[in-house]
Amino acid sequence: MSAVARREGRGGDAVLGLVPRAVFEPSTVEEAAEAIRACDAEELCVTVVGGGTDLGIGGRPSAVGAVVRTGRLDRVVEHAPADQIAVVEAGVPLVALQERLAPHGQRLALDPPFPGRATVGGLVAANGFGPLRTRYGTTRDLLIGATLVRADGVVARGGGKVVKNVAGFDLPRLMVGSLGSLGLIATVTFRLHPLPEAAETVLLSGLDPEGLWRTVRGLREAQLEPSAVVALGAGPFDLAVTFEGFGPAVEAQRDRLAAAARKEGAACEVLDAAGAAGIRERHDAIRAADGLRLKVAALPSHFPGAVADASRVLGSAFRGPGFAGYPSVGVGFFTVPGPRAGDAGGGGPSAAAAEGARAVARTRELFERLGGSLVVQAAPEAVRAAVDPWGEPPAALALMKSLKERLDPRGRLAPGRHAGGI
Amino acid sequence: MDPGLVARFAAIVGARNCLAEPPALVTYECDGLTSMRARPGVVVLPASTGEVAAVVRLAREAGVAIVPRGAGTGLSGGALPVAGCVVVGLARMRRILEADLANGWARVEAGVANLDVSKHLAAAGAYYAPDPSSQRVCTIGGNVAENSGGAHCLKYGFTVNHVLGARVVLADGSVVDLGGPVADPAGFDLLAAFVGSEGTLGIVTEVVLRVLRKPEATRTLFATFPSCAEAGETVSAIIASGIVPAAIEMMDTLAIAAARAATGLDWPEVGAALLVDVDGTVGEAGHTAARAGEIARGSGALEVRWPRDEAERQLMWKGRKSAFAAVGRISPSYLVQDGVIPRSEIARALGEVARLAREAGLRVANVFHAGDGNLHPLVLYDARVPGEERKAEELAGEILRMCVRLGGSITGEHGVGADKVVYMGEMFSEDDLATMDLVRSAFDPERLFNPGKVLPAPRLCGERPWPSRVRPVEAADPAGPA
Repeated sequence: MSAVARREGRGGDAVLGLVPRAVFEPSTVEEAAEAIRACDAEELCVTVVGGGTDLGIGGRPSAVGAVVRTGRLDRVVEHAPADQIAVVEAGVPLVALQERLAPHGQRLALDPPFPGRATVGGLVAANGFGPLRTRYGTTRDLLIGATLVRADGVVARGGGKVVKNVAGFDLPRLMVGSLGSLGLIATVTFRLHPLPEAAETVLLSGLDPEGLWRTVRGLREAQLEPSAVVALGAGPFDLAVTFEGFGPAVEAQRDRLAAAARKEGAACEVLDAAGAAGIRERHDAIRAADGLRLKVAALPSHFPGAVADASRVLGSAFRGPGFAGYPSVGVGFFTVPGPRAGDAGGGGPSAAAAEGARAVARTRELFERLGGSLVVQAAPEAVRAAVDPWGEPPAALALMKSLKERLDPRGRLAPGRHAGGI
Repeated sequence: MDPGLVARFAAIVGARNCLAEPPALVTYECDGLTSMRARPGVVVLPASTGEVAAVVRLAREAGVAIVPRGAGTGLSGGALPVAGCVVVGLARMRRILEADLANGWARVEAGVANLDVSKHLAAAGAYYAPDPSSQRVCTIGGNVAENSGGAHCLKYGFTVNHVLGARVVLADGSVVDLGGPVADPAGFDLLAAFVGSEGTLGIVTEVVLRVLRKPEATRTLFATFPSCAEAGETVSAIIASGIVPAAIEMMDTLAIAAARAATGLDWPEVGAALLVDVDGTVGEAGHTAARAGEIARGSGALEVRWPRDEAERQLMWKGRKSAFAAVGRISPSYLVQDGVIPRSEIARALGEVARLAREAGLRVANVFHAGDGNLHPLVLYDARVPGEERKAEELAGEILRMCVRLGGSITGEHGVGADKVVYMGEMFSEDDLATMDLVRSAFDPERLFNPGKVLPAPRLCGERPWPSRVRPVEAADPAGPA
């Protein structure tokens, strides 16, 4: 049996500034289990790292003794086109998976930013998603099976390889958004969707919050079925609505939306392929900025107003915060690019940092008041130090702690990273 | 049960809603799986979350097992009592509390019937998508426990994809909200673990449901084939074409005959038939329906029919939905199995089922959700012939093993319950099951809720809490099973 690759940690391995003592790079599920067992034996706290695109989500782990990188778990184990499923090792980058699926006319209906770096395991652990969430949901809706390595190194599997399956507890879905604190996700099994034959995007611009909500609500009332509804900017909003499917049906939906928008007097443009790609680039640039990244959520009817208010609050402390969100779901992201975040406290405690922290706290209030939430996904050090990354503890925190204690009794997996300090 | 304890339960829910006399308890001895029975100590019918919580606290104090129950339509014995337990029936909690259609959700009590939600929302053009065939009576709480599916989950997913939040009474009697109508609540996704936990983690009393806008159009086609091979090939070809149908249902000769006998439909005597729903915008549904029809013809369909109007469409679906019960017209007794295979293996699996049936000397009718490979073989037998029921059960078990061999599952929608606990080890390793058990103990360390269901008991404890396979005739003994 091969031994798992292991080396000393270096600066480049740091997780939010914490350099691990050891770095493991398993290339099989068994090696991943060996790595976790070694960490358990040596009492090293473990942070699992995929593409490293979402390491800023939540709290800084209280200790990072070891990093387990999943990058060498890089095999597409099985793709069964006729069954529209794929079994994939955790470290496979999303792009690599999509490239395997595309020649068969299929895709994983998931389009987060950084598809070249983000790994499928990391996307499950961090609950990563993009515009397609509008129609296809999150990895929670796409995941049908998983293999995980528990904190004690035991390998356990849940779910299966068929979409319809209710045998046993749903361990795979429990991993969605778990941030590596319940186990190491070693393989994932997804249901797949057909690649659409055609896509059409309509861009409405200059919408105020009421206009945005009216449009989003109108899509539902008109029984249109967009794949993606993306709001960009927050004062005023641009709204890009993408329809996918068979050619004539997609064109009909596009024309119905455009006609309705023009009747309302909204500025409306049917985009060509280059125009749609441009919108996607703008979206990705906003989502990818990681000087500051706040994820906000509220009911769709509350969402546009809260986002507009928040945009003003954040704009007073950060230079030009960007916004990209999915208003029919009620989830979005405020971001500020890295270098410019320094304007608001990148360099340690300062008046600007205090102002930035206050703005984040006020923004959180705007959403929590409406029953929504704000989670810090990236922030300058000084802001992070002054703001709880999660906000109000979840109602079921005691139960979450109970689960954590059962699956990770010695608290080795990303301690302190998850909500409520778990 | 000790009368003093019964009185304390009665004090919580009211004497009328606390049943402890044997004649009243008979109804609760089993669920839809009538071959397994056990007598509960008491049945309580609480009217609020507070009453459920009080019942749980008292049961815990008294060390009595708790078995939650919705409408009792489950087919895996998920609501089968443990002898002497308290059954908590949610049937009185049937209010629709709130509907926020603009945001796409509704909050309902757990005892609301599945179809009543859609009826309530119909005037506003909205509906609740999961549609188990018992949807007229089965409860939302039961759907949450079982992660129920239905014919249309091929496109729309299962209960887990349509439940946004749940109010749950935990084993210590505390009440907790998991999830809610706002997207992405912080913390672990305990709701995902709860849905489909079959009453072993807690009692759900309120549910926040995702509510969908009705699609603009639904088109249905009915196609007949010489055999299941061509029908199976058609299923694969439709999926491969990029169409995501709302439903693809398949019936074999016996099932078609049964449906014909029950409804008077003029369905021909053929080897197999498919009933396909596609939906979406008018353009999308029209286009995909036409394409699905072409694919069926190209894959060897004898005939493709389109319903002339909504009434005929409903009649076709009635034929499909009545096929289960209608099998009773062609056989004195039957067992319903629920297993899943990869859908590309339909023809092979049905061939295997036919071979196993021949070897057992029994007939099997097939009417099932072909689009997602969810088989529902109906094993026909005659309970009056000694030994035939056992043979039928063995055949049903062999079919499950075949599903696992082909890379599928031992249950697609009926749940593990008490019935399939013995098969869990064929699908999962001991480590897998032990990990699931850790999740269970995080919620319910004392195994108060629905003991013996879903997960096999630790091996040393051995026995199931029920006498194995008590026959209805035995359970009619007034003394009940020991």
